Amino acid sequence: MLGSILSQYARTLSVFAALLVIVLVEVLGIREAIYPGLEGFFNWMNQSSWLGVLGTTYGSVYATVEAVHLLSMAVLGGAVLVTDLRLLGVIFRDIPSETLVTGTHKCFRWALLMAILTGIFCAAGVANKVYFMEVFWIKMLVLFAGSCFMLFIKQPFLTSRPHAEIDPWMIRLLAITSMLTWFTVAATGRWIGFS
Amino acid sequence: MINELLLQFGHWLEAQQYSQMLVAGYYSYSWLEATHVLTLMVSIGSLFIIDFRMLGWVMPNVPASIIAARLHKPMMVGFAIMFITGALLVYAKPVETIQSLWFRMKMILLLLAFINAWIFNNRLKGAEGNWDNDPVAPKALRTGAIISLVLWCGVVTLGRYIPYDWVDCTNTTNTAILWAAGCVDQLNAL
Amino acid sequence: MNDSSKWDDKAIAAVSTAAIMLGALLYYWIGQGQSMVELLELAYGSFKFFNNPLIF
Repeated sequence: MLGSILSQYARTLSVFAALLVIVLVEVLGIREAIYPGLEGFFNWMNQSSWLGVLGTTYGSVYATVEAVHLLSMAVLGGAVLVTDLRLLGVIFRDIPSETLVTGTHKCFRWALLMAILTGIFCAAGVANKVYFMEVFWIKMLVLFAGSCFMLFIKQPFLTSRPHAEIDPWMIRLLAITSMLTWFTVAATGRWIGFS
Repeated sequence: MINELLLQFGHWLEAQQYSQMLVAGYYSYSWLEATHVLTLMVSIGSLFIIDFRMLGWVMPNVPASIIAARLHKPMMVGFAIMFITGALLVYAKPVETIQSLWFRMKMILLLLAFINAWIFNNRLKGAEGNWDNDPVAPKALRTGAIISLVLWCGVVTLGRYIPYDWVDCTNTTNTAILWAAGCVDQLNAL
Repeated sequence: MNDSSKWDDKAIAAVSTAAIMLGALLYYWIGQGQSMVELLELAYGSFKFFNNPLIF
């Protein structure tokens, strides 16, 4: 009985388990306990890892990777906007939303991968600074949650059935959440540079 | 001559109260720059999706002309915001920007990108035959898409270089760079 | 399509995750907005976008 419920609602249970873990980490003070131990790793990333050394030694390499990071975010944003504005019925009303949801996903995945790879390099170059920035940790949390949401929740749901069978408000909720998520990732990322 | 005039214009802009307020405000300059960068997701995001479609990388099952037509408006809105915020960024730091080698190179690439976009649009309108439903566009449009991708990658990269001071007028003695960046005072002092 | 398959695992996970994330993001941005206004009022006595420390 329990086994069948677990397998039948595996996705939903995983979501609530993840939420429970986040709440426990916060309430039990685990985050505060782990945080000081990470400083050494961030200093190593900045001063000793080859990524950090390359980024801090050659300003032009760092700036170029930053530009690739920006371009990846631009493509990611383009893919997200095309999909979500269609889901909201703003653009591409003459193309079925199912077609766009599947058609842009590959582009989104590649852009996300590129953004993460270049982002690791960018973060390594200023790791000793971002460690102390709240906005960096907010970005990491939203990036992680957003990636899981897009890859394991939103996409599987939207490709599992015709969109006409889904309540329009559910579709709107998913589209707005997705757009606000990636706006937050980009905006907090830009703010890291100002802090 | 033109560099002297540009520098004078820069000093004139810099002396204006609103130019100084934009830089000195606690949030104003950061917000302006953040808006300029974040709008990349709308402008370049839409443009690259169109280019990718021409190359057959995304949505090959959707007619290319529909992708280009439907994304035209969001793309233009994005570019309009980028142009306005970009102009205000120059207005906030006019002398520094006018004498930036990267900014000058970026403007040249922007000009080339717009010429390419104009040619691309004309080719798109003039392209005959039943290619619209093909996974990849005809060669002329594919070439235009690749040129567009390369030029815009260059524009974004040079834009990212502008805040860095590697080749600022005060940081280099290379005559070619001083000439290209229009460093009037430094060239006169040589 | 009947109601039981409409509210299956994927649908519940999608709606609950989106609701939680949207709530958290709105909470974050409203908080950011509030702290920004507070900071500007503390620094300059009023909320002004073009606040200029050289003039105030």
